[in-house]
Amino acid sequence: MNFAMALDYQSCIDCKACEVACKEENGVQLGADKQRIWVTQSEKSIFGEPFVVLHPSQCNHCQDAPCVDVCPTGASYFAIGGIVMSNKETCILCRGCMEACPYDARFVDDTHVAVDKCTFCYDTRIVKGEMTTACQATCPTKVRLFGDLDDEEGELVQLLKHRKFYVLKENEGTVPKLFYLLPEHDMNYAMNSVNEETNIYTWDEFKPLIEKAKTKRSSQWQDIQ
Amino acid sequence: MARYTIAGVEVNRVSLKNLLLGDKVIYIAYGFLVFALIGMIDVFWDRYFLVSATAFDAGLFPGNREVAAAMKEAVFGSGGEVKREAPWSLYIVNYMYMIYVGSGIVFLVALAELFNITLIKRAAAGFLTLGLGMILAGLFTILVDLNILHLHWMLLSPRYNSGMWLMLPLYIIYIPLIVLEIYLILSHHTNLAKKLALPILLMSLAVEFLEFYVQAKLFDMNSARHLWTTYPLLTFYFMISAFTASAAVMMLYTFLVYRNTDRTKCAAMMDLVKKITLYSVIALGSYEATAYLFIDKKWAGIILFGDFKFYFYAYLLLAVAIPFVLLFKERSSKLAKVIASVSIIIGTYLGRIIFVYGGNAYPMSDRFGIGFEKYGEYEAVKEIVFFMPSWGEAAIVIGSLGIIIFVYRVINLFFSVSMMREP
Repeated sequence: MNFAMALDYQSCIDCKACEVACKEENGVQLGADKQRIWVTQSEKSIFGEPFVVLHPSQCNHCQDAPCVDVCPTGASYFAIGGIVMSNKETCILCRGCMEACPYDARFVDDTHVAVDKCTFCYDTRIVKGEMTTACQATCPTKVRLFGDLDDEEGELVQLLKHRKFYVLKENEGTVPKLFYLLPEHDMNYAMNSVNEETNIYTWDEFKPLIEKAKTKRSSQWQDIQ
Repeated sequence: MARYTIAGVEVNRVSLKNLLLGDKVIYIAYGFLVFALIGMIDVFWDRYFLVSATAFDAGLFPGNREVAAAMKEAVFGSGGEVKREAPWSLYIVNYMYMIYVGSGIVFLVALAELFNITLIKRAAAGFLTLGLGMILAGLFTILVDLNILHLHWMLLSPRYNSGMWLMLPLYIIYIPLIVLEIYLILSHHTNLAKKLALPILLMSLAVEFLEFYVQAKLFDMNSARHLWTTYPLLTFYFMISAFTASAAVMMLYTFLVYRNTDRTKCAAMMDLVKKITLYSVIALGSYEATAYLFIDKKWAGIILFGDFKFYFYAYLLLAVAIPFVLLFKERSSKLAKVIASVSIIIGTYLGRIIFVYGGNAYPMSDRFGIGFEKYGEYEAVKEIVFFMPSWGEAAIVIGSLGIIIFVYRVINLFFSVSMMREP
């Protein structure tokens, strides 16, 4: 098992359904910005006409997660499937993980006095055998696809085999597992979504990076059932 | 005053009344400590006892106006001690300031010990106690910042290779070594004190380097803290400004402690420390003058001409310009030295605030690698740019001054560390 998510972000309509579903499922204040899940607007202009790119985002569940390394108590850890978790009981609120995360994906949950983040619904769904996250289940335009990277025949890998994609801040070396699918039929959108330094990958090109990082980290994966 | 001799050290006999209510210094310490206490109550109340409404409450009580109001407060209000948009704020400013400046004092005293600079050696015990007090004040601040109820997990489930654990062994050795050095000075083991000065000096440098690594390098990956990492050779900025502040603190201390007891030595010592301060100020000024040649021009623009310009120029004025003018003269008056010291202390503190708050406050994130994104989370506070620290946070920082005074005063009461000794 190696859980990941692909995002067909061109289909995002910023309806906030994913955010509401996620927050309802995890007891986070509705409306709280950038807590667990969010959609970012990147604004540009083409010949003076404004152009907006919507990037739905959340914790990237990095294969080589820096937040896990900086945690002094082990409150940040890898669960089975390479999901990066945050244990509210052992968090001492040093906020090192918040600083280490290149994606600003963590926040302080005031109700638990601990750092919290997206868990790919590991504790609410995955451990119960479900193979969908709250955000995926509720998205009306099917932006998100959650799945298992080890399952070559699975829907996620099949999608990645047929589409080009990129990951965020690749140069940080964290091997993130949110795959942003490059828009196929709208070059304007595609060009405005990435910069010149963004590497566009095929599955065959990216798979070795995933496998290398998994080999390095999988011994740290913990079973929380 | 009656004295005992314990392990070669003369210990003053101090009555409980004298210890707790002896002089005006203890009342000043108490005044600051009251701030610490009020701050801790405020912070702990907000952190552990504030009831916050969540999406569950909205689901349980749909349409309930009280729940709606509570949720609005939770999302947009000022409730809650820790804010996502300002995760490391005044606590970390104070922690880093105290640790760096305290270690800087210890470093300068150890250096004087090694180079036989008699004037500093005469007051070394007092200076070291002051440095120790500042380090403890910094640790107090950061301790309050942490989730104290869960701190036992540091021992029950430690991950030793994390940044925070890097510092613990260092402090476990460093602080006792400073105490041992004070003991050796008080017990007249001058040769041993000199021998111990070298490891203390090296450890002071290690504290400055490792603290930078632990605190600042953590920011390396976080674009919201971009300011920390774009600044060239930031560790040298931290060290130079810390040494400048350390010398300033030492000059002020010399004036406050010795101005009435030993005027000649006080004047000579202030002159010596003045020179150290002046060189440090010049080094800091040189750093600031050249750093912007290498910095990302957008960030240079923000600091030099943008929303941070007033804070930055205030820092330069207080930490560099005013002290330089006051101290550059061959013979500066005592008053000029005192004003320069206070100016540097405030200015360098402001410098720390700019770095911590600047990184937090300025919405400039290139998370997606396609240019700086709109960062809605800061909209609410855009007008003030800086996040105002909560009252509790500010009170704890004020309270940390009480820790310094209390630690110094108690040690001084028993061991007369402020006394000038012939080395």
